[in-house]
Amino acid sequence: MSAPAIVGTIDEPPTAPPSRRERRADQNRSESSSHNRGPLMTTAGYVGMTVALLIVAVPLFWIIITSFKERGDIYVRPAQWWPNPATTENYHDVTTRIPFSNYFRNSLIITGVTSTVKIVLGVISAYALSLLRFPGRGIVFLVVIAALMVPNQITVISNYALVAQLGWRNTYQGIIIPLAGVAFGTFLMRNQFLSLPGEIIEAARLDGAGPLKLLWKVVLPMSWPTLVAFSLITVVNEWNEYLWPFLMSDDERVAPLPVGLTQLQNNDGVTNWGPVMAGTVLAMVPILVLFLVLQRQMIKGLTAGALKG
Amino acid sequence: MNDVTRRGFLGGLAGVAGVAGLAACAGGSTAPASGGGGGQAGTAGQIEFWSNHPGTSKPVEQAIIKKFEAANTGLKVKLVDAGQNYEEVAQKFNAALAGGQLPDVVVASDVTWFNFALNKQITPIDDLLATAKVDTSDYVDALFNDYNFSDKHYALPYARSTPLFYYNKDLWKKAGLEDRGPKDWDEFKAWAPKIKAALGNGQVALEMADGSNYLDWYFQNMAWTFGGGYSKEWTPTFSDPNTIKAGQFLQGLAKDGTVKFNKSPEADFSAGLAACIMQSTGSLGGITKDAKFDVGTAFLPGDGNCPTGGAGVAIPMNISDERKANALKFIAFLTNAENTVTFTQATGYMPVRKSAVDLPAEKAFLEKNPNAKTAIDQLAKTRSQDNARVLLPGGGARIGKGLDQVAQGQDVATVFKGLDQQSQQVFDSQVKSKLPS
Repeated sequence: MSAPAIVGTIDEPPTAPPSRRERRADQNRSESSSHNRGPLMTTAGYVGMTVALLIVAVPLFWIIITSFKERGDIYVRPAQWWPNPATTENYHDVTTRIPFSNYFRNSLIITGVTSTVKIVLGVISAYALSLLRFPGRGIVFLVVIAALMVPNQITVISNYALVAQLGWRNTYQGIIIPLAGVAFGTFLMRNQFLSLPGEIIEAARLDGAGPLKLLWKVVLPMSWPTLVAFSLITVVNEWNEYLWPFLMSDDERVAPLPVGLTQLQNNDGVTNWGPVMAGTVLAMVPILVLFLVLQRQMIKGLTAGALKG
Repeated sequence: MNDVTRRGFLGGLAGVAGVAGLAACAGGSTAPASGGGGGQAGTAGQIEFWSNHPGTSKPVEQAIIKKFEAANTGLKVKLVDAGQNYEEVAQKFNAALAGGQLPDVVVASDVTWFNFALNKQITPIDDLLATAKVDTSDYVDALFNDYNFSDKHYALPYARSTPLFYYNKDLWKKAGLEDRGPKDWDEFKAWAPKIKAALGNGQVALEMADGSNYLDWYFQNMAWTFGGGYSKEWTPTFSDPNTIKAGQFLQGLAKDGTVKFNKSPEADFSAGLAACIMQSTGSLGGITKDAKFDVGTAFLPGDGNCPTGGAGVAIPMNISDERKANALKFIAFLTNAENTVTFTQATGYMPVRKSAVDLPAEKAFLEKNPNAKTAIDQLAKTRSQDNARVLLPGGGARIGKGLDQVAQGQDVATVFKGLDQQSQQVFDSQVKSKLPS
């Protein structure tokens, strides 16, 4: 933030402080001049960006157009780059051939609850492990990190035995509770909290902020981008979680979307890809929306916070 | 955001707890409906059926279950989505074996059942069949005997398939070939130049699945046709001169560009990119729907050299005798002549009963679908698979990997000798001690 201000004061006479708009124009000018490269480099840059974009976008584009194709048009040569004729039959298929709305609801419930629990647990445990002093803090942290080292494929069988004995197979709590532990969140947020300047936290304590007020008004606003990134990763992970919900669920009463969508694939023969792609598109939408919303929050987090003003 | 007070924060936490509580309640309310059949003791009259719905057959399975429940008052069947393929069902069943809450009936494929039988996790059904007076002689012999291990049967055939030779009739005509499949692989080799001459840009004469997509299943036919095989009983025979000849034949086809290996040959075939393929009968329905040309089907090259495949239904070992008896009643019903016809017509699998082909419904169906008839006629020429592929743990994957190496040009004798050694080693370390002496 300080660099453009300096540029502004050099360019403008000191008696007339620059308006905000002029300052921004200056900033742009200085940025564009510092990025001034030869046309060759610029072209190369754009080519690189286009290639990267295509690598990401073409499969996505293919999924979307396939979801609008008729069955006979999916496997053809030359490939069809635009559905002709376009049909919404596949979307109709997805919602009628499998109980799509049930799977969708289960996904929302499981992702919503698990993510919320994970984020809350992650934040408060990281807060305790970084900024509160209590005996055995180091040991607790080591145990949490150790949990991070155990891949969940290994714990699946013992978790299964435990949950099955509780009679929780094919229930929401059976799916959610074993998933809700958060070594990763604790680790990530703890490091973030430790990176905050100690003076600010000291100052807040001197001003009489209690532990919760300190967390909510000082620590979290400064950690907003990390928290949002952590939340996003958590939500996407939970949304795509397959192995555990698959083992736990028996049918559409509790099974989430990734498990449900496999019902569209023929497991010993030719899969009709149209409905599979339509299901994939529908499953992507909520995450895309969430990402767009949170992205704005992320930027807001960069400019707001305890350092403001 | 900055206006939030401590009270607000606590309120938020309470809200979170509330949501969690609600979810728990929602879960709880489904528990009585679903948890009942799962206990080790089990609920009398509830049969839990773990299936991956082979060939997208869930609606058919549900219809058969409804008929079963109507015919057997007091018995209820709960159909469970146990995975998207046979491996996932086996995985879920493994978890249940470790953690309790076994199902009553589970789908087991040609490569997964034996390991469960060997470790006494699924039950031999011969006595149960005798008690229930099920006539086992009506099951197609090759299919029923696939589940035979030391004179006991461990499953009933359910969703069974064989490979089939699919060819593009339009291309066949263009190449000036008779409207039939090759008699044996030598004839195919003689045809290859004609087929290649008829091909357009980007097309290939023959496509086969690669080693990670069951090439080992299809290649069995080639090995048998040349007089070789993967094993005799428990002795691996990859180094047999005839098996090596078959491997060299495959390598030759790959070298001169006649055959291409691919993850899903049925996709390329449907798109008109491959003149012919070897594929499961289970793909028949899909290929017929996808292809925009005339599809022909034929027996695999060679006589009596068609491997069987697919899945059966088994009953776990550690459940009460009453549950076993009920489970058997259900699987016998599921695979009776009438239901095997219903099931196979909807999916493309083979009827598992001899008497099925005499039912009027099946006769009418076969008249309308000559390609489906090819598959059923071929059933008489099937042969049970070699132990080295289906009974040794990891056999299919091991052979598939070896065949991939052969296809890429490595020396056949060396690769096959390695397969011999590996198979023998797996047998000695994992199977031998568990076999009844």
